[in-house]
Amino acid sequence: MPPLEETLLAAGLLLLAALSLFDRHLVRACSWFVAFGLVVTLAWARLGLVWLALLELVLGAVLTGAFLFHALGVTPSVRRPRGFFAHWHDPVPLTWGLALERLLPALAVLAMLGVTLAALDDDSSGSLRPGGLGLLVLGLWAFALHRHLLRRLLAFNVIGTGIFLLLMSLVGPSAMPAAHGLVVIGLVVALVGTALGALLVRRIEALEWAHAAAPRADDPST
Amino acid sequence: MIERLGLSPLTIQAESMVAVWVVLGLPLLLGAVGGLVRPARGWPVAMAGLLPLLALAWLWRDVDSEAGRSWMIEIGSLALYWRINGLTLILIALTYLIGLASALYTPAYLREDPQREPRGQAWFWPLLGILISSLSLIWLAVDLLSLYFGLELMGLSAVGLMLLTGKVDALVAGLRYLLLALVGSLAFLLGVSLLLGAWGRLDLAGLARAVEPGAPLWVAVALLSAGLLLKAAAFPLHAWLAPVHASAWIPISALHAGLVVKASFFIALQLWLVLVPEATVAAWAIGGMAGAAVIWGGVMAWRAAKLKDVLAWSTVSQLGYLLLAFPLLIGTDSAVAALAWEGTWLQLAAHGLAKAAMFLAAGNLILATGEIRVAGLAGASRRFPLSLLSFGMAAISLVGLPPSMGFTAKWLLLHAALTGGHWPWLAVLGIGTLLSAAYVFRVFRYSFIEDAPEYEFHPVPWGMDAIALLLALSALLLGLAMEGPLDLLRGAGEGS
Repeated sequence: MPPLEETLLAAGLLLLAALSLFDRHLVRACSWFVAFGLVVTLAWARLGLVWLALLELVLGAVLTGAFLFHALGVTPSVRRPRGFFAHWHDPVPLTWGLALERLLPALAVLAMLGVTLAALDDDSSGSLRPGGLGLLVLGLWAFALHRHLLRRLLAFNVIGTGIFLLLMSLVGPSAMPAAHGLVVIGLVVALVGTALGALLVRRIEALEWAHAAAPRADDPST
Repeated sequence: MIERLGLSPLTIQAESMVAVWVVLGLPLLLGAVGGLVRPARGWPVAMAGLLPLLALAWLWRDVDSEAGRSWMIEIGSLALYWRINGLTLILIALTYLIGLASALYTPAYLREDPQREPRGQAWFWPLLGILISSLSLIWLAVDLLSLYFGLELMGLSAVGLMLLTGKVDALVAGLRYLLLALVGSLAFLLGVSLLLGAWGRLDLAGLARAVEPGAPLWVAVALLSAGLLLKAAAFPLHAWLAPVHASAWIPISALHAGLVVKASFFIALQLWLVLVPEATVAAWAIGGMAGAAVIWGGVMAWRAAKLKDVLAWSTVSQLGYLLLAFPLLIGTDSAVAALAWEGTWLQLAAHGLAKAAMFLAAGNLILATGEIRVAGLAGASRRFPLSLLSFGMAAISLVGLPPSMGFTAKWLLLHAALTGGHWPWLAVLGIGTLLSAAYVFRVFRYSFIEDAPEYEFHPVPWGMDAIALLLALSALLLGLAMEGPLDLLRGAGEGS
């Protein structure tokens, strides 16, 4: 029976991930994501992986969050999103049929991993592994479901965290350094990917604004 | 097959290790310098480009005397495994050659391109350095941690290079590419995690001894392959390739088609040979994908309206030939495998050189005519004979006519398929050759239209033509001097 606080942590992670992936309000979704990053930091710290906790705090929560808000055009002084994301809500409506259909690939991956983990048959007591699997499924579902770029970046980050948790629950003490190496590279890649995506969104937005403004300037009717 | 990959026991020599570090680090250093200096002419680039070639020659002389070497590098409690052998040397040389050609081409290209983005130029050099270094690391590495690092570094720098154009369509295509690259790396990471969890190690030589068939191995290899084949634009996962090329700078397209997609393929093939050397059925499934890629890519290249799209789809088709390595190398007897081994790497090198030359020649034609459509080439034969000559010589290697390197490669693959009695792959090779001839001659048909109206055009500087011509010549003439590289490839298997 896993200890209570670990179960609570895993449940909290899943709840925050679900909120950040499926909240229709984009600024709120990004805020949930930052909270999610903080809970992941707690989870690493509880496992005694202090360095990972620090890295997750700096890269995963603070910097990734900053880039996400940058993509939304939200700064401490400007609270309303601008441009691309002027609507506070995700514009594409979600239907139950679509949502269930897009759940299938995530469940297929879950089944594959379930078979694998069953075959590995080591005794795992923690709730890290089910937590990681849950994050993976949630993230995959969201990635397949949403067309919105920002939501896909969020989903990508959640999947990444799920894989890290799964990895840490799988490896024994002898393979720990390699696992650390993988997670550190993965964290940096996730940050760089999110940053590139966010900067790209801002740049496309600026170009489209310029493009939309140019014909209007010499249009005599306006 | 596994001994051919050079996963021999460790021999640590500090001296040649220095050469390896220089080969890996020099492109990074030169890239940083280039970012500061921003060379506007070709000759400083050429002077600087000699340095990595000298470093490579040094490494080559060190290693050539033996069958290969491998090292264990310890960083704290982390162990990385690298090796070098004939195959690695050839791949690094190919990387340097194509990288240098692209670097030489870029200053002139940026001067000629009317819509250039000044901000992009500063970023080009450091990103190019990172790309070349990460590719070299991928060829060298034989543990999954180094491979993961190299793959991510390569993927992100390739995305960055694609974005340099700074136009909306380039950025939108780049966004799609970024998301795909990220998904591919997640699948790769999950596969690596399963392997590490199940067997507790990441070095390929150790994994080859440790792994047992079973669900964990199959799922891990499936995830790794899915991620890598997505990044390699293998058949059903190829749709991102053409839009990405359509808006990128010409020298970057040359690098991408010549090297970047090959790196993922290289890792995938290496992993299969090490982890699942007997998975015949799965390898035949990949062979089916290869056939579909050759035919679909060829048909789409034949129908494409834009010159760059023709080349991008032709990359999809030519990658199909490389994927034939899976059914020809996995679970086949040693005679077939030996032929296919040489054919595969020659095809990789031949396509890299020919496709890079073709992109550069096509870039010259596009700049000179100001037209991106194939139909816009009307009358090019009289006005730009040199660009068209480079294009033609690269095309000879691409189609696989003698005496080119592409011919030797396809001949070896054909021979391997015949020896093993794999009739489907023979058909794929035949149809692929016909299709590639069809799309290449379609380009020439437009170029030789004599009564084309005289549009305004301006010829490109001779240096740009010369670079394309030299690359095309190397793709063509290396076919005549095939013994050296083949010996290196064979030698990779003997001494270990």
